[in-house]
Amino acid sequence: MERGHIHPISSLIREANQIFSGMGFTFIDGPLIESEWYNFDALNVPKDHPARDMQDTFFIKDMPEHVLRTHTSGLQIRYMTEQVKKGILPPYRVIAPGKVFRNEATDMTHEAEFFQIEGLAVGEHITLAHLKGTMTVFFKEIFKSSVEIRFRPSFFPFTEPSIEVDMRLTGGDAPEKLRNKWIEIGGAGMVHPKVLENCGLDSKKYQGWAFGPGLDRIAMLKWGIDDIRLMHSADLRFVNQF
Amino acid sequence: MKISRDWLQKYFHAPLPSAEELADALTFHAFEIESVDPIREPAASNGAGGDWVLDVKITPNRGHDCLSYRGIAKEISAILKLPLTSDPLDVGLTKSHMLEPMTDVVSVLIEDTGLASRYIAGYVKGVKVGPSPEWLVKRLEAMGQKSINNVVDATNFVMFNIGQPLHAFDAAKLTATDGSYAIEVRKAKEGEKLLALDAKEYALKPGMLVIVDKNADSPIGIAGVKGGEAAGITEATTQIILESANFDGASVRKTAKALNLRTDASQRFEQVISPELSGFGMRAAVDLILKLAGGELVGFADAYPKPPTPLQVVLQSSHPTRVLGTEVTKETIRDVFTRLDFSYEETDDVFTVTVPPERLDIQIPEDLIEEIARIIGYDAIPAIQLSTPETPVAVNTHFYASERVREDLTALGYSEVITSVFADKGERAVINKIDSFRPFLRTTLVNGLNDALKKNVQNKDLLGLKEVKLFEIGTVWKEGKEEIVAGIVTEKESAHEEPLSMYMKEAAAYDTLPLSETQRYQTFSRYPSITRDIAMWVPGGTRAEEVEAILKESAGELCVRIDLFDEFKKEDKVSFAFRLVFQSNEKTLTDDEANRHMQAVYDAVDKRSWKVR
Repeated sequence: MERGHIHPISSLIREANQIFSGMGFTFIDGPLIESEWYNFDALNVPKDHPARDMQDTFFIKDMPEHVLRTHTSGLQIRYMTEQVKKGILPPYRVIAPGKVFRNEATDMTHEAEFFQIEGLAVGEHITLAHLKGTMTVFFKEIFKSSVEIRFRPSFFPFTEPSIEVDMRLTGGDAPEKLRNKWIEIGGAGMVHPKVLENCGLDSKKYQGWAFGPGLDRIAMLKWGIDDIRLMHSADLRFVNQF
Repeated sequence: MKISRDWLQKYFHAPLPSAEELADALTFHAFEIESVDPIREPAASNGAGGDWVLDVKITPNRGHDCLSYRGIAKEISAILKLPLTSDPLDVGLTKSHMLEPMTDVVSVLIEDTGLASRYIAGYVKGVKVGPSPEWLVKRLEAMGQKSINNVVDATNFVMFNIGQPLHAFDAAKLTATDGSYAIEVRKAKEGEKLLALDAKEYALKPGMLVIVDKNADSPIGIAGVKGGEAAGITEATTQIILESANFDGASVRKTAKALNLRTDASQRFEQVISPELSGFGMRAAVDLILKLAGGELVGFADAYPKPPTPLQVVLQSSHPTRVLGTEVTKETIRDVFTRLDFSYEETDDVFTVTVPPERLDIQIPEDLIEEIARIIGYDAIPAIQLSTPETPVAVNTHFYASERVREDLTALGYSEVITSVFADKGERAVINKIDSFRPFLRTTLVNGLNDALKKNVQNKDLLGLKEVKLFEIGTVWKEGKEEIVAGIVTEKESAHEEPLSMYMKEAAAYDTLPLSETQRYQTFSRYPSITRDIAMWVPGGTRAEEVEAILKESAGELCVRIDLFDEFKKEDKVSFAFRLVFQSNEKTLTDDEANRHMQAVYDAVDKRSWKVR
């Protein structure tokens, strides 16, 4: 019997879980319809923030204050709040891969439905240097190449400092198109003290970081996929290549 | 924010580095750069005389101070350690002297100080409105702005320079009572309208903040957004009342949105600016107007009921080291604060920083840590690995079950698809889908699976499949619940699904399941393919691979797939049957073209004396 194929995103999530569980990260998941508290307010996103506009976020009919989650960041809040309620204090290490939604027009590089992988590490001694180290290990494994990571200043309401993560593949067997070029991976940063407090944690005692790159983007870089719409195409001419 | 290198240079004695180097400095220490565009060719071969515009993406937390040349100049000064020649917010005058003399020829009244925290009116008479000098026209051109006249241009220049929006009214067009004017900042009344400077009439809603000629009780401007035609500056204007004020950001944003009228002014108020800027803006505008248009300053009226008290933020000197994971000495901290022009006091292990009023983004110690990190540069952060975990991770039961289903089904020849959650019908819907196409959330995977089956059956030959078998693990919303289900469909079995919970079980650890070994994705043609079968007798002992190689070679490039689908022996002969699939990347192949390629295949088979059946 010839084997079937799993979706490349599933392969990527499987691989990410293998890499991160090896580093002590627990896989967490949560609902796709998320409350505004978890998706925005607890993450320190102000009520009049543009991201909460009708243009960017899907609101649910007859379910006020609920949205289709715009990122997996809300799962950080769910997890930390739950742990604190159970009396379990940091250290925490979790990843949350999953589908997210943006109210955007679709084209070769944009989709209304796509995948993200959230990562969170919180403890008494978790530093920004650990984020650089963790990203380096993750991308080295995913791209099977030596990797350099660099940070640039950015801004997100839920992190401070906030950064953009860039990656450069330096290995000889890295794909020609990507080798030695700096590539944007996504945003990250130290979790904002207000966010920790919103989960019931003492921000004077605990600190940590979070990251949340898009998985479709990583898949497209890894395999040279040129059109994000292939992910939801349900076309075996695509899926069966993996 | 567009930044002209020439204009920025005015802030520095030392020559600034090239536009590209400035872009890098900002990218790695402050803001992303959208583009760097030359706007004037250099006159000399060494680049002198040229100008470039950097399109700087100011992050939302720095809209308070960096939508201005002054803000960017301070950033460059801190990043490149270049001293500023002068700071427009350090005019060598105390705050009270800056707005002298006061006058009561203009009075200001703010109805709701929650919506307007400050309003300064400056009255200048005897001006001569005319064209602006060349240097000013050029400056505004670099910002994509047309020159209007010397007075209006001066207000726009100051706005770009300092970040404080200003407006000028023709005083003679206002109503004077006993020789004095009165400006009121209030909410619009039901039914009020304003013919704005863009020659459009705007219907104002109660709740929108307006500037009013109080003696006539008629609106002369939409606060923070746009001025009215009625009191607009013309060539005939000789007396002006300048406005430098602070309006509530959320209110301006709502108003601008409702009127579909976004301006450079509204953009800045939306980002929230410090009311302290109003004073500097007014002073700078008056000085510039007197220079360009002549005239005489009569005086100012400043309604500023509650000036904010300076904020102090306390930072433990060990805190940056603890957060960043690399040693940050007190020396470094002092250096960064000095470069950023933050005044501070240091005692033992504590820095107390007095936050400059325009840096509304600095409120907690972590904000100062970000300043330190970005100014020294994130290259200083090493890559350190987390400590080895002490215990193995707990297994996520949903994920474990999904992975079991994936493994079981792929072993049986099923391939995984992911389909959209949006559907034509369902219990739940989103209210604001663009194009309103499929706004419902699916109650089942079945419809998506059926569509996928149909699509893929058409390509069976291309895929080399005997049967299309699909599965999906996804979320559905039915019977009032959100649930993960696993669904399958094949050509023989109609689509159906089960809750994932049926496959959930306790597990101590994840199984190590195979990953895709594919190196690279190959783009495939969207054009239909044509299938041709060929069966032939070959001498016993001939290998199928050998036959396939001959077929492949003779069929040519357009044959994208060859599969052996039947073989049997008879006496000393063997029959092989192959399926060939032809497809072009550029067009739909015709039967004729396929036939021609097959003819080449028949010829090759013939040459070897293999008998086609």
